[in-house]
Amino acid sequence: MQIEVLFFGSLKDITGEASLLLADAKDTDTVQEQLQKRYPALAAAKYFTALNKEMITANKTLREGDTVALMPPFSGG
Amino acid sequence: MKETKHKNIFVNGAIPAEKIAADIQKHADKTGIGAHSIFLGQVRADEKEKGKVVAIEYTAYEEMAQEKMHAIRESLFAKHDLSCMHVHHSLGAVKAGEICLFVFVSSPHRAAAIKACEELVEAIKFELPVWGKEILDTEQSVWKENR
Repeated sequence: MQIEVLFFGSLKDITGEASLLLADAKDTDTVQEQLQKRYPALAAAKYFTALNKEMITANKTLREGDTVALMPPFSGG
Repeated sequence: MKETKHKNIFVNGAIPAEKIAADIQKHADKTGIGAHSIFLGQVRADEKEKGKVVAIEYTAYEEMAQEKMHAIRESLFAKHDLSCMHVHHSLGAVKAGEICLFVFVSSPHRAAAIKACEELVEAIKFELPVWGKEILDTEQSVWKENR
């Protein structure tokens, strides 16, 4: 199973890339753990998570082709 | 005259003053309208610790922002007696003194346009996945934070 992870704003400075593919993440908590291992600075960053463009606040099970977005606090306008 | 289709709110670079005048003119034939409320966001040359802001570079999660904007639009149309609503937000670099946000709300009577415009601007600031990076005159940059 493959899912896509997107990074925005200041998080892109931490990861150095706008997106990546993860193969073995069964839920959004697992995504977070894997990413924090890969990018330790993420642990200290403040961000929201969206699953398929919907904001989530709790752990969600993932399906093939899902998109998880990590978004720092918004600063538009 | 309710608008339900998804409209692209993003424009590349600054919003020219001429567009604002032209958009007002476009509403001249919508004679049921009695009030327009317009909000313009301008890039401020703030003094930061590391330098002075010369521009803001905007990026967005565009697909999510368009969907969210659609939901905000629907809820404001349900709540207020509005004729139409238009939002234009810059992406990319906008220099200090230039316009980065143009919000245009119209209604038969003033109260609805004024209230909806204010609510819309707040929603744009706090609910749309858009980020501004402040570019400083020292060639450094800091991520903007909305208050």
